Order: sequence, then structure tokens, then C-alpha cells
Amino acid sequence: MLGKQEVISTLEMLKYEHLDLRTVTLGISLLDCASDDVRVFTARARQRIETLAAALVTTCDRLGATYGVPVVNKRIAVSPIALVGAPFTAAEMVEVARALDTAAGNVGVDFVGGFSALVEKGMAAGDRALIDAVPEALATTSRVCASINVATTRAGINMDAVLRMGETVKATAEHTAGDDGLGAAKLVVFANIPEDIPFMAGAYLGVGEGDAVINVGVSGPGVVKRAIERAIEAEPGIDLGRLSEVIKQTAFKVTRAGELIGREVAQALGVTFGVVDLSLAPTPTRGDSVGEIFRSLGLASIGAPGSTAVLAMLNDAVKKGGAFASSYVGGLSGAFIPVSEDLEIAAAAARGDLSIEKLEAMTSVCSVGLDMIALPGDTSAEALAALIADEMAIGVINRKTTAARLIPVPGKTAGEHARFGGLLGEATIMALPHGSGGNAFVRFGGRVPAPIQSLVN
Amino acid sequence: MTQAVISVLGEDRPGIIAAVSQALLDAGCNIRSVSQTLLQAVFGALFVVAMPDEVDEAALAHTLTAALEGLDLDVIVHAYPAGAAASRPHAEPFVVTTHGPDRPGIVAAVSGVLARYGVNVTDLQAVFEGGDRPEANAMIFQVDVPDSVSLAALKADLASAAERLGLELNVQHRRLFEIMNRI
Repeated sequence: MLGKQEVISTLEMLKYEHLDLRTVTLGISLLDCASDDVRVFTARARQRIETLAAALVTTCDRLGATYGVPVVNKRIAVSPIALVGAPFTAAEMVEVARALDTAAGNVGVDFVGGFSALVEKGMAAGDRALIDAVPEALATTSRVCASINVATTRAGINMDAVLRMGETVKATAEHTAGDDGLGAAKLVVFANIPEDIPFMAGAYLGVGEGDAVINVGVSGPGVVKRAIERAIEAEPGIDLGRLSEVIKQTAFKVTRAGELIGREVAQALGVTFGVVDLSLAPTPTRGDSVGEIFRSLGLASIGAPGSTAVLAMLNDAVKKGGAFASSYVGGLSGAFIPVSEDLEIAAAAARGDLSIEKLEAMTSVCSVGLDMIALPGDTSAEALAALIADEMAIGVINRKTTAARLIPVPGKTAGEHARFGGLLGEATIMALPHGSGGNAFVRFGGRVPAPIQSLVN
Repeated sequence: MTQAVISVLGEDRPGIIAAVSQALLDAGCNIRSVSQTLLQAVFGALFVVAMPDEVDEAALAHTLTAALEGLDLDVIVHAYPAGAAASRPHAEPFVVTTHGPDRPGIVAAVSGVLARYGVNVTDLQAVFEGGDRPEANAMIFQVDVPDSVSLAALKADLASAAERLGLELNVQHRRLFEIMNRI
């Protein structure tokens, strides 16, 4: 029999603390759909997606209802399109994006990821075509997400790709100027991209994966925040070792809930279960914020001195709790700090408590990177590339995933407001010093060599 | 050997279990299972025991009453054959919880819906301490829902009963609580 406390604490997490299953993402391999005829490829890809994912939404809703845990988003991730569509031109790549968008709409999911290229060491024809297609593809579809991996710890940083991505981010924002550059909110540049991320916009199905796999993304910043507050109230004199323990135990519970439902969805759909990505992923809702955790741990605001230390402790405790809860933890697993998607982080940025420089420092210990940052519309492609290069360097040197999702909002300047809508939220545009000028460093091109793996200081 | 179930009820104090189990030992009975609980200040326990052949229900009741005299306990002995539980259809374990204002009839209303669907209550904990503070008034029904029952229909009927009483009601598979709270 269950104890009263076991039942009540679980219900409180669900009812008051926004515990949910943030995403169930069905990874679908399109490798065997390949053709040099784009019509053949898109027909095969659509059929594959619409067959395998036909019951994804209803299955998630049914199992979510059985356990009383809402499955907020259902999504699809496909093989990197630059690889499976290698023969195509940029115009044909846009057609592929539209086919993915249609298939995703037909099965009722809100995003499909995998409009992706892996170019950390060099760019092949398909990679160039895909990157060239990104601005139009993201402007003419609503569900497609793109991710480009430009660096790894083993390969170094492909600076030619970094510059190209600076230009591509800028062009993508300009293609969606009427929506505050929304296209760029669906485009992420990565270092050390994992092959099994369920969260958007970085989800794609790695080439080492099988035919189809379910990866789930669990969230729960509100649950962690309340657990910290309860522990501080209950234990006067509590120290950071104990607080880390509280965060670990909370992460354990949240991970277990995600794995339970993910496994059952996978079983019902007849596909393999992959990983739980335990990430503190906020939404623009009060009480569902990573930024609020910084206040609970005694800081005046995220961005104040101490923020990097808080985030380091939080990220590590989340990973430890998650790793104990499930043998298959993957994806990004840690804490996200996406500015526009988190009410408190967006507010801290608007107040001036959080600068882009402090955010960059924090990304050295968080699980992703410079995420959902609205920048002035006159930010140059070279400055965007240089900022991406900074973020990639943090990932490459520290052997971790980092990413940049930057939105230069067309026609707007620092201090003005940008709205992206829905889960993407809204944010005040942050100032980027030296952001509008040229940057000769990124014009050198070539590849920053892979870092030494000894003499680690 | 025949089997008996013994219920013991009284004001809680140290030594009740010791006294009852010693009396059962003295009567030659072997305790097979026990469930004891405290409700506010009331002690309640059920003992399932194997009785020696020469002891019958009335004799055991007499022995226990004599042995426990002075403890102010109500003791009832029922003989019942081993393996008497009726076989039930396969069912899935769910947890039905309610939160909301205390008023007469809420246990009856929820359990009435459960009974109509043939849903067996395996454990019920109800705490009414909060008056109009809904979070402090909770009922937790652990139930077995037969496979033949439509979960959606059961949920809908429970929800409408709950709505009439101003209760918030949840129905969730038990596995969620186990997997989140146990290693």
C-alpha cells in the first residue's frame, strides 16, 4: 500500500508545481528514404512519418491521462536532412522542409526537428545546400526546426561554418522580420550536439540510432524551486550539501515519472525507448521558471554575483539525481537558461540585472548555452558569428554541449521588446557591445584545432 | 487447523499488541498476518490466526476476553475457512484522490460510484482536519479497476460526483506513485 505522504507529495508536484512531461519525441530514421529525386524522397519521408507517428499524439494523451501527468508536447525528430538529402539543391531542401512541415501537421505534432547538418570538420554539398535553404525553409514553415553542429571537442571549431551560421542567423531573422525574427528562434548552432535530444529546436535523430526511438524530455523547475523552499523552511541552518541532496532527490522523482510514461509510449507504438532528458526547461509561466530558483537560493536575481556557482550546483545535482533514477539518461540533461522562455530570466534581462556577458559565463556550467537571446536588429553577421564562436569554444574546451540560439530582431534596438509567441515567449532586446561592426577574427576562417586533452588547467 | 479473524478495538495505549499476542500464544494460536492502525486515539487491529483443532470460535473468544480483561478492548472472533477469498477479475491498481471542503456524504458519494463499476477499494485513508481548507481535507482511495471497466466512463462519473460536492478529484495509475517515491 502507498503511504499518504507518497500520494500527497506527488499530487502537489503535479497540481501546484507544474510537473509535467515536457515532450515525448519520436525519432524517425529517414536514411532508407534517400533518393536523388526530391519528389521520391519527400513522398517516402512523409509516408514514413505519417505511418510511424500516426498514433503518437493519441497514445501520449491516453497514457498521460492514465497517470495524471500531462504530456505537453509531442514532437518528431528525423535523421539529419543534410545527410539524407545530400544530392539536393537549396531550393529542393526547402521543398523537403515543407514536406516535413506537412507531415508533422498531419500527425498533430507542434515541431519536427532534424533540418540539420553536422559540419564540425567540413561541409559537403548537402550541408551547404541545407544551410543555404535555412532562411527560406524556416520562414515558410511553422513546425520545422533546424540545428547545425559546427564544433566538437574531437574536431575543433569549423570557423568557416561559424561565419556562415552568423550570416544564416541574420538572414533567417530578416526572412521573418514581421514576426520579430521568429525564424531564428527555430535555429540552433551547436558544439558537441547529442544524438538523442528530445527538446526543440535541437532535436534530430543521430545516425547511430535505430529505425525509430522514443526520447522524452522531463522538466520541473517549479518542483525543484518548491523543494528547495520547503527544505529551507523545514531545516534552519541547512547547508549547500543538503540542498544539493534535496535537488538530487527531486530530480530522481521527476526522471522516474518521465521514464515510466516514455517506456509505455514506446511499447504502445512498438518502438525502442531511448533516453530521458532531464532538463529544467522553463516556460513563460509563473512558477515554471529556472530564474526563480536563483532567488530561492538567496540571490537577488539571476545574473547577480553567485549566479554561476548556483547554476553549477543546480546542474550537477540535477544530473546526479537523474542518472540514479534511470540508466538511460541522455540528451542535454541539466538546466536551461533560455531568456525569452523564462519569465524571471527575461525580467532580469529587462531590468539590467543579467547581461549577455554574465549569461555567457553561466553557459560554461549550464546544459545548453546562449539560448533565446533577442539582440538588436543591426547586429552584424560577423558579430553573431563571433558570439557563436565564443559559445562553441566554451563547449569544445569543456567537453560539453553548448549552443547558440540568437535572434537579431529586425528593425529593433536594445531595450525594445520582441515577442515570439507561445512557449518561445518574449524578451527585451539585450545590448551586445561591438555588435554592429565588423569582426576580422571570424574572417580568418579555417578550423580552430581540437584542444589538447591533457595539461588540463 | 481452522482459521479465524480477530478484530480488536479500543483506546490506544502501550501494550495492547503484547497482551493480545500473548493471549493468542497461550490459546495455542499461530498468527498468520496482522494489520494494525491508529485513527486519532483509537487502536484497531485485525489478526488472522490458525486455531488448534480442539479450539472453536466461541472458546477462543471466551479465552481472549478473559485474558484481556481490564484493557477495555472490544474483541470479536470469526472463524472462516482458509482460501475463502472469491476470485476476482484481473484489475489494474489506481489511486483516486479528492481534495475539498468537508461535508457529510463525500465518502459515500465517491465510494458509491466505485461500487457501481465493480471497483474494489483495497485501502482508504481519509483525513478531514481542515474544515474549509481544501488542501487539508483529503481522501485517498486505493482501488482495483477491473480490465472490463471503461476508465474514461469511470473517471467521468467520479468527476461529476466530485463536482456536485465541490471536490477536486484525480484518478491515476498506482505505478506512478510507486516509481516516483521508491528506489
